[in-house]
Amino acid sequence: MAACSSAPSFEGVAIDPPRDMPAFTFVAPDSARVVLGPEAGRPMVLFFGYTNCPDVCPTTMADWTRVKTRLGPDAARVRFVFVTVDPDRDTPAVARRYARQFDSTFVGVSGDPATTAAIMQAYGVAAGREELGSAAGYLVSHSSQVFLVNAAGQLVALYPFGTRWEALASDLAQVLEQES
Amino acid sequence: MTTAKQRSLKQWSRVGLAMMLAACAGESRPGSADSAVASAAALADQPLVRDAWVRPADSGAMSAAYFVLHGGQDSLELVGAATPVARAAEVHESMQHDGMMHMQPRPAIALAPGDSLVFAPGGLHLMLIDLLRPLSEGDTVPLVLRTARGDSLQVAAPVRRP
Repeated sequence: MAACSSAPSFEGVAIDPPRDMPAFTFVAPDSARVVLGPEAGRPMVLFFGYTNCPDVCPTTMADWTRVKTRLGPDAARVRFVFVTVDPDRDTPAVARRYARQFDSTFVGVSGDPATTAAIMQAYGVAAGREELGSAAGYLVSHSSQVFLVNAAGQLVALYPFGTRWEALASDLAQVLEQES
Repeated sequence: MTTAKQRSLKQWSRVGLAMMLAACAGESRPGSADSAVASAAALADQPLVRDAWVRPADSGAMSAAYFVLHGGQDSLELVGAATPVARAAEVHESMQHDGMMHMQPRPAIALAPGDSLVFAPGGLHLMLIDLLRPLSEGDTVPLVLRTARGDSLQVAAPVRRP
């Protein structure tokens, strides 16, 4: 993995140069607004999935709990965000409850169709329903990488599914150090 | 050879330790004074599920069970599963291609004699659909795996975080 000498050296797949990402606003079940955009001192980790996903999504979220533990008190500055790609089934309340079952500080959001489509397009995330005769109803194929966005709202690295969680922990520590 | 009924095996699993509490009749190994050795020998011959665990999840949600299925000395075809804690249980496999994660039902999986199947995060998993009760760490979930031969492999899987 090549990174330019002035850029941080990430264990994940570095996005070099960092890419400015648009901000997106979601509405929480209590009508509060959740803004996924630049926030001073607070980088963001994003994953796109669906709550009926029994394997890959909970594996990723469970990895985040390890990352959070590894970071210690600094983890309080990280925004861990689960974005559903299945808003028809995952209401804002379902998405929030899903994220919180892994850690009470994890954020789960579900957008309206336009917001969901826009954030997926911005991050290059794809998803598709698959009717495969499961008792679970339709299954959803989806991009499964984790995105690291710095406090300035720039996408700096991504982590394909299967990447060791320690890579994200190490890169987050680096980003937090730079932004402290 | 054992009959299909004799081949049926009950096994209870704990984290990292499979404990076989009831083995097939007629499978004891005369001459082996050490019961652990006898059990190990029986395990090699018989279908066996070990290292099972289940993810915590809310009532009404989905969970997944993971384990290692040893097929034993004969060929085996896994054709279904059930659990009293969910409306349905299906064998699925997560597969990644072109950057996309897909989940594929696997209604039947054949094992050659001596083969094992590893159910692990990001690959094969037993999807527990529409949980009838919440699964919390420390709970135990009964699982039944069915083979084409009509055998049932039973395991009690602890609920734990991965």
